[in-house]
Amino acid sequence: MSIYEPELARITRAHSPTTFDRCFEIALPGGRTLGHRPGQFVEVSSLGLGEAPISICSAPDRSGRFELCIRDMGGLTSHLQRLGEGDELGVRGPYGNGFPVEATIGKDCLIVAGGIGLAPLRSLIQTLLADRDRFGRLIVMYGAREPSELLFTADLAAWAADPRNEILVTVDRTAEGWTGHVGVVTTLFHEVALGPPQTLLAAVVGPPVMYRFVLAELAAHYVPDDHIFISLERRMKCGVGKCGHCQIDNRVVCVDGPVFTGTEVKGFHETL
Amino acid sequence: MGAITYLGESELRAMLAALVARTRVLAPVKRGRLSHAFAWVSDEREIELAYIRTVLPPKRAMLPWPETLLEFTRAPQSRVTAVVDETPYALVGIHPCDLFAVSELDWVYLQRHDNLDAHYRARREAATIIGVECRPDEYCFCTSLGLAGNRQGADLFLTPVAGGYVAEVLTGKGEALLQDAPTRSPTEAELAAFGDWPTEKERLTTLRLLGEVSEYPDLMEARYYGNAWTETAKRCYSCGTCTNTCPTCICFDIADEVDFSLQAGRRLRRWDSCQHLEFALVAGPHNFRPKRPDRVRHRWFRKFVWLNREYGFPFCVGCGRCTQQCTANISWVEVLNSVYREAKEARAG
Repeated sequence: MSIYEPELARITRAHSPTTFDRCFEIALPGGRTLGHRPGQFVEVSSLGLGEAPISICSAPDRSGRFELCIRDMGGLTSHLQRLGEGDELGVRGPYGNGFPVEATIGKDCLIVAGGIGLAPLRSLIQTLLADRDRFGRLIVMYGAREPSELLFTADLAAWAADPRNEILVTVDRTAEGWTGHVGVVTTLFHEVALGPPQTLLAAVVGPPVMYRFVLAELAAHYVPDDHIFISLERRMKCGVGKCGHCQIDNRVVCVDGPVFTGTEVKGFHETL
Repeated sequence: MGAITYLGESELRAMLAALVARTRVLAPVKRGRLSHAFAWVSDEREIELAYIRTVLPPKRAMLPWPETLLEFTRAPQSRVTAVVDETPYALVGIHPCDLFAVSELDWVYLQRHDNLDAHYRARREAATIIGVECRPDEYCFCTSLGLAGNRQGADLFLTPVAGGYVAEVLTGKGEALLQDAPTRSPTEAELAAFGDWPTEKERLTTLRLLGEVSEYPDLMEARYYGNAWTETAKRCYSCGTCTNTCPTCICFDIADEVDFSLQAGRRLRRWDSCQHLEFALVAGPHNFRPKRPDRVRHRWFRKFVWLNREYGFPFCVGCGRCTQQCTANISWVEVLNSVYREAKEARAG
């Protein structure tokens, strides 16, 4: 058995929430459970077109199914937009460390998502909400470029239906019919009182450019760096710590990450 | 094992001929006037054991370029098969530096991050490795790394002495090589000649790393924003020759190749280079090392700081290939030494 050999999985459901994202529900052969943690990723491939690392966007469960939301970024990911129910996908993984779910017990949870960054965080949110009484507040700050690019809108509405959850959504650019908040994701920090920073944990996933600004906001609210969990994107070609592409200083993102604490990220070069 | 015997020149040649007859042999052969290359030989007489260095390192035996990791078909139904090549072969004429590089590759592909690469393991286990003692040229600096007398990675090691070789049997595979060879105990004179090689190598090596190897990780980190990287980058073309010729470079790319039928193909691994612009490019597009000084520094840091700390030894064996082959005449050791001087001056100032 090779660590680079994908399993041939089957798409059981597919839909396109936007014009350039496609969500899949996937079943592994033999109904096997993927066995992932929120924040982990899989290497997805189509035979002949290559592989790409994709975050898992559903919570771990025993259904034998898991979900991916894949943005059209060219190459393989463009091809994947055309796949539907019954089609095949190569899957390797899960890889990486994931978010420290156990650490949230008794804490307030702040989730900051930018764009497709909501995908891995959806896995975390679903996991947290499956045991809602174990933690305090759930504050979700989610920003997309424009209203038509918002992902997981049904989930956002369902999470907001529980008064214990505070779901804040913003768009960088407004459009006709949009009555919600306008501004980059960090402007949402002015819309909510975060509460005592010592009991707050923050999970942050978004485009690389977002992190510096979110970390500044969190610092302004005195959230300790080791209470912050950030998922870093790098070019993870192999997923198993061999190919060298995702190295940051002395760490490889695919094995040591992709989730790092604020303390770690602030110590990295070439990151913020 | 651990035995030291003497093998005459013609007896060694007979052993190599027998080896070529029964297995595939990758060995140094002459290319042009001054150059050597590791090549699969069909005749023992092609093998030149007295050579200085090859352009490409012997790692191509364990990590072919390109290497088929998987074969797949898409029709009538999809099927993926891992390609694991266990065909035995011998690597002949490997210098102490390149031998040590093999043991570093072993750690990366067999142990690092607790993930085992079955493709590498198969080729590695299929290998019988015969090392050979060498003389340095102006690019060699294995002595600065303490690798002049390295035997790690070899099954059998040969040191030339008058009329033949002193052979060190290091593993069971090495022992098997000499099973039918007419060996005898080396004489006092032969043992003395054998013992002279390391001192001779020290004497003949002109290129030296300043200070102690163990000082470098801290010194280099202190000079992360130093001048050496920007100065080196002014001359560098980002061509990747240094990484391609490096026996310890481990980075690779994975990409698919499809037959004209579009129904079958292969997933291939190719050596990749951190010096190439697109190496750290992600979707977006966002490049984490868009500037040449960043990539230059990355190479030196990876080999002499990060992997050095993780493995306990630099990912550099002093072979001199990157410097000899560099399109821009950038000297690996000169850059290290300039960082060393910068760091010492900064500390003193």
